[in-house]
Amino acid sequence: MFKKIKNKLSFNIISSVVLLLLIFGFIASTIGYWQFTNSLTTEYNDSAFCTAETAATLINADRINEYLENGGEDDEYKLSLSRLDTLCEKQNVSVIYTILPDPDYNHYTSIFNSVNKNTGYDRWEIGYVRETSTEAYKKIYKAICEDGLKRGSVIRDKNLNGGQPHITSLMPLTGTDGTVKAILCVQRPMEQLDIGRKAYIRHISLTMVILAILASLLTIFLIRRQFVKPVKKISEEAERFATENRISNESTLKNISKISEISVLASSIEKMELDTVRYIENITSIAADKERMGTELSIASKIQEDSIPSIFPAYPDRKEFDIFASMTPAKEVGGDFYDFFLIDDDHLALVMADVSGKGVPAALFMMVTKILVSEIAKTGTPTNEVLSTVNNRICAHNKAGMFVTVWLGILEISTGILRASNAGHEYPAIKRADGKFELFKDKHGFVVGGMDGIKYKEYEVQLSKGDTIFLYTDGVTEATNAKNELFGNDRLVNALNIKDDCTAIELLTCIKSEIDKFVGDAPQFDDITMMAVKYFGEDKMKELTINATVENIEKVTEFVNEQLELCGCPVKAQMQIDVAIDELFSNIAHYAYDPDVGPATVRVETRENPLSVIITFIDNGKPYDPLKKIDPDITLSAEERDIGGLGIFLVKKTMDDVSYEYRNGQNILTIKKNI
Amino acid sequence: MEILKNKNGSTLTISLSGRLDTVSAPQLDDELKASISDVKELILNLSDLEYMSSAGLRILLSAQKTMNVNGKMIVKNVNETIMGVFEVTGFTDILTIEN
Repeated sequence: MFKKIKNKLSFNIISSVVLLLLIFGFIASTIGYWQFTNSLTTEYNDSAFCTAETAATLINADRINEYLENGGEDDEYKLSLSRLDTLCEKQNVSVIYTILPDPDYNHYTSIFNSVNKNTGYDRWEIGYVRETSTEAYKKIYKAICEDGLKRGSVIRDKNLNGGQPHITSLMPLTGTDGTVKAILCVQRPMEQLDIGRKAYIRHISLTMVILAILASLLTIFLIRRQFVKPVKKISEEAERFATENRISNESTLKNISKISEISVLASSIEKMELDTVRYIENITSIAADKERMGTELSIASKIQEDSIPSIFPAYPDRKEFDIFASMTPAKEVGGDFYDFFLIDDDHLALVMADVSGKGVPAALFMMVTKILVSEIAKTGTPTNEVLSTVNNRICAHNKAGMFVTVWLGILEISTGILRASNAGHEYPAIKRADGKFELFKDKHGFVVGGMDGIKYKEYEVQLSKGDTIFLYTDGVTEATNAKNELFGNDRLVNALNIKDDCTAIELLTCIKSEIDKFVGDAPQFDDITMMAVKYFGEDKMKELTINATVENIEKVTEFVNEQLELCGCPVKAQMQIDVAIDELFSNIAHYAYDPDVGPATVRVETRENPLSVIITFIDNGKPYDPLKKIDPDITLSAEERDIGGLGIFLVKKTMDDVSYEYRNGQNILTIKKNI
Repeated sequence: MEILKNKNGSTLTISLSGRLDTVSAPQLDDELKASISDVKELILNLSDLEYMSSAGLRILLSAQKTMNVNGKMIVKNVNETIMGVFEVTGFTDILTIEN
C-alpha cells in the first residue's frame, strides 16, 4: 500500500519538482546565455571600434578614389597600408579592411586590406571586387553610405564554409567635405565567445542536473517524513482497530503530524475509535437485554401454554362427548384463552374468552380471568352468576382498564342440557346431528371488566346425540388477508359445513386450514382460538364378549342386569330378560361351536321413546336360526309334549321383538323388551 | 340353586331356592333321579325360586310324566314370573299348581 503512495503521490510530486527545476533552469540558462552573448559581443564591438577609429586616422579618406586609380602605387597609400598591417598585428584583430561598395551595394571594391598572420587569409589587392557576403552587410553598407550610420556591426556565425565565426565592426571613412568616401571594417574572431558560451551551457546544465537530483532526494525525504510516515501510522492504527475493536494502550496517533489535514485525520480516527467502542458496548448490552427478554417471553409463553388444558383426548374414558381446542397466539404470549374442566362427574364447564389487546399485558390479564372463572365455576354457581362475580372482582382491580369477552357454558352430561351465559363474546355455532352449522344468536351481556355490577342472563340449549357446538374468538372471524379482507362470519359458517360429519379435532383442523388458505402470507394479526364439543350423550350401548359356555351364563346375566338397573328396568321384565338370556346363551354354548368352544358377544342398548332395551347376541359359530323352530303345541298333554323348543318359545312369548340375522359369518339374534 | 329335601314316608317335598336355569337344572335332575323311585307324592315348593328357564321346564315335565305313572306331583308357591312362564308355555294345564 505504501508503494502505491510512493508510486503515485511522491512520484507526482517529485516529477513536478524536477520538471519545474528543469524549466527554471532552462529559462535561467537561456537568459544567461543571451546576456553572456550580448556582453561579449558589445565588448568585442567596442574594442573593434577602437581599432577601427585608430585605423581611420591612418587613412587619408579624401584620396581613396586616387588610390584606386593609381592601383596602390602611391607612397601615402603604401605607408597607410603598412601602418594598417602593424595595427592589425598589434591589435590582434583578424582583418582591417576598407571597401568602397557599388551603388547597388551588391559588390564592393577593396581599397586597403590588412590580414593577421594567424588567420591564414590572403591579402586582397587594391581594386579587388567581391560580392557582398550577406544581406546584413548589404544593409549596413547602405546605412553607412546613405543613412549616416556611424557604427555598425555584423556577426557572422553561419554559412562560413569552413571559416571561423567572426564579428565585423564597420564605420564610415569621411572626407574633409563630410561625405562618406569608403567603409572601414575591422573583423575580429569570435572563438572565445563560442568557447565561453559552450562552457557556460555545460556548467549550467551540470548544475541543473545536480540540483534536480538533490531536490528530488530532498522531496522524497520530506514527503516520507511529513506525509508517508504519518499516513502509514494512521493506516496501521485503523487496521489494528478494525481487527481488535478496542482502544490501544499507546496513543500512537498523538501529534504525528504538523500538517493540519493529517492531524485532523488522526484525531478523527481517535474519536471514531472511542465512539465505535462505546457504540459496540451499547449494542452488546441492548442485545443481551433483548436476548433476556426473548428468553423470558418464551418462558412466559410456556407458562401460558401449560395453564390451559392441552392434552387430548381430554377425557378418553368419557364417551359422552368429544372435545378439542386450540390457541395460536399472534405474539409469543396472547390474550385469548379457552378452558374446560369437569365441575363434577356430570357437569362439564366450557370457557372461551378474549382479552382486549395482545402480548404481555393481555396475557397477564388472561391468567387472572381464567383462574377467577374456573375457581368460581367449580363451586357450582350458575353461569350468569359466575360471570357477574368475576366481573365485579376484576373491576375492583382494573386500573389498566382492560376488559375481556367471555362465553361460559356448563354441559349437564347426562341430559345434554347446556346452560350458558355470554359476556360480549362471539356467537357460538351449533350444528344439530343431521343439520348444518348455524350461528346461535345468544343474548349478550356486557364485557367483563368494563363496569361493575353488571348482571348476566343464563340460557339453555338442549343438545342431543350427534350435536356439535363450536366456540371461537374474533381472531378467527377477523383474520385478515393481504387485501385487507376479513375472514368473516359467512366464511366461518361455510368452512364449518364443508365436512358433513367429523370429530372435534377434524373440525378444528379444517377451520385452521381454511383460515391459513385465506390469510396466505399476511402476518397473523390476532390470537386464533377455537373449541369444539361434540355431544353423544350417555353411552347407551354396552357390550360384553365372553366365551360361550354354560358357566358364563351367570356373568352375562350379571352384565345385562347391571345395565337394566341403570335404566330403571322393572323387576318382572328383568326376570323375563334373564330367562331369555339363559335360553339364548345356552343355545350358543351348546350348538354354535360344538364340539369346540368359541366367543359370543352380548350387546345391551337402551332407547328412548319408547323406553326399551335391546339385547343382541352375536356368535361366529355354525349358522343357526333358532326362530325356525316350530312352536310347540302347548295344548298337548304332558305325555304328548315334546321336550324341546320350549326355550325359544318362551323367549318369543315374553319379548316384544325377536329377530335373527346371519351376516358376515355371524349369527345375530336380537331381542327387544319395552320397559 | 339350593335344594332342600324332606322325605315323609312316600311323600317327598323338594324346596328350591334361587334360580332354576341351564346351569342348575342338572343338579335338580340328579336329585330327582336319585330320590324319586319310591315316591308316591312329589311336592315341589317354589316359594324361594326366583325364576325358571326352559331347562327347568324340561325337568318339571319329565318329573310330571314320571309321577303321572307313580302317583302325583304338586307344584306349590309359584311366583308371578314363573307363573307367567307356565301360562305362556301351557304348563298350567299340565302341572298341578297350588298357591
